[in-house]
Amino acid sequence: MAELDPFASATVAVQDVHVRYRVPSTDAAERRRSTRLVRAAKTVLGQQPMVLVRALSGISFVARSGEQIGLVGQNGSGKSTLLRIIAGLERPARGRVLAESTPVLIGVNAALVPDLSGEQNVRLGCLAMGLTPEQTEKAIPDVVELAGLGKSIYLPMKTYSSGMGARLRFAIATAANPHIMLIDEALATGDAAFKERSEARMNRLRENAGTVFLVSHAAQTIEETCTRAIWLNYGRLVLDGPAEDVALRYRKWAWAIAKEKPDEAKKIIEDALAEKTETHVQVEESPGRSYRPRHVRGHGRDAAAVEKREA
Amino acid sequence: MTGETNTAENRSPGGDLYSMLFAGPPSTTEVVSAGRLTRVGARPPLGVYLGQLWNRRHFLWAEARAKVTSGTRENLLGTLWLVLKPVLDGLTYFLIFGLLLKSDRGIENFLGYLVIGVFLFSFTTRCVTGGAKSIAAGRNLIRAFAFPRASLPIAVVLREMLNMVPVLGVMIAIIVVLPPAEVFTWRVALVPLVLVLQVLFVTGLSLLLARCASVVPDLNQLIGFATRLWLYGSAVFFSYERFLDHPTIIALMEANPMFMVLDMVRDCLLYGVTPALSSWLGLSAWAVGTLVVGFLFFYRGEESYGRA
Repeated sequence: MAELDPFASATVAVQDVHVRYRVPSTDAAERRRSTRLVRAAKTVLGQQPMVLVRALSGISFVARSGEQIGLVGQNGSGKSTLLRIIAGLERPARGRVLAESTPVLIGVNAALVPDLSGEQNVRLGCLAMGLTPEQTEKAIPDVVELAGLGKSIYLPMKTYSSGMGARLRFAIATAANPHIMLIDEALATGDAAFKERSEARMNRLRENAGTVFLVSHAAQTIEETCTRAIWLNYGRLVLDGPAEDVALRYRKWAWAIAKEKPDEAKKIIEDALAEKTETHVQVEESPGRSYRPRHVRGHGRDAAAVEKREA
Repeated sequence: MTGETNTAENRSPGGDLYSMLFAGPPSTTEVVSAGRLTRVGARPPLGVYLGQLWNRRHFLWAEARAKVTSGTRENLLGTLWLVLKPVLDGLTYFLIFGLLLKSDRGIENFLGYLVIGVFLFSFTTRCVTGGAKSIAAGRNLIRAFAFPRASLPIAVVLREMLNMVPVLGVMIAIIVVLPPAEVFTWRVALVPLVLVLQVLFVTGLSLLLARCASVVPDLNQLIGFATRLWLYGSAVFFSYERFLDHPTIIALMEANPMFMVLDMVRDCLLYGVTPALSSWLGLSAWAVGTLVVGFLFFYRGEESYGRA
């Protein structure tokens, strides 16, 4: 119901974001495209032809407080890239993202510092997010308990299985208690016991958080937990609307793809595209621009300093 | 500056003539106020950036301390290598330049001269190579958390400073224990001051190279050669007096900040001479200048480090 309220304040505005990557490709067709001289030079230098990958093209939307937005789409459709862009960890080639406070990305696939033990990584992560040493010491038992790695928490992170690493990452990120939270498949990892614990923690975070973004392949998770959903396909926005509707269409589409019915899948996408309302985000530059530094909201000196500055 | 968001059904998005004339799919225009929302990942003003950096000092410290031993942990002797490496380095140079090539002619207390040169220069080398790689090495952290990126090269220098503590101890011990005896005066107290200037200088250099290497990774391959050339040009194991009849070489050498560092520390520790005022001024200028230029240069690229 939050998305029906036109006066709910915007927390994140994504304005016409484009992301491109130049990456090496082993595609023989790409190779043939360059001239003989370039090809010879590339062979000598041991380099592969570079191709331009459009990870995101022309994404625009506005998120409001109280919304839980699910991102659906097949693998490689740009969901995680979009989250990284919203978190400000990467800069888009075109367009911009505005946010009310620093969004915190809860990803699962990054090992932090592989040589350090899990415990050291927890401390480092908390400090990197801007917690004070006292807050960090207070948060550590909580994080360690949520991760539930037992004695493994004292082992180097490079010895962790991917599931263990993901649990730790998730646990660290929740310590920040962010206002805008970006969750990248966090709930999909881990065993049943961890799932339950993390869901409980998520609910608590969600109560505090203004806006939550959730990436998941499981359309059902989106339907159950989100108020709104955005469907991405090859870096383009297919549909943006109520979670049930978008997730249902995405499921039908995915089902059609799985059953190798490309015509049906195509029709679903085309229908969705036809019904989509383009969103144009206009940013009204106000004369008195106050600066809000990119730190996690509501912690320690940083926050106190901001409040003072804004007062 | 209420920050209210207005949603208006609108078939003509602001200023786009084409879609105004040939109304495409239905569209909404959302107006958000830039007063309340700010661009994510935007580079803050310099003062705020410095404040953020200061607020992350605990992170810097933790990062530096946690990584002190990570370079040598896989060896049997562990942290002992921190000290063994420069000692063996010094021994190698002593064998080749002292015993074989006899470049020690004209140098009083060659062993002390060499030890100071090798040990202090190794600090610069490690900071510079580590600093240049710091962005690539910290990519996981960069892509996971938002923090002032200058933390990474600065943490490298901090880590090397911690590494340097036992090395300095051994350096002093070697100088004291091995003959000939030194003239110890109050000037020993000036050594920390020189080292502070050295630290400021290499911090600036690390920041400078960190941004350069994040754009052109090939630089990491070149830095090894550059530092070696620099090592030979800083009179680490020969006396610059052998170039007395080459004024250009002398001038170049005397303008070299690392030569100044070594020369000043040797003056204080070995020869009981107060370093000349010109050296103090020269080294201070280098230190402050490099730090300011390096920091501003790195700061201007702040938004670019997250790129894959």
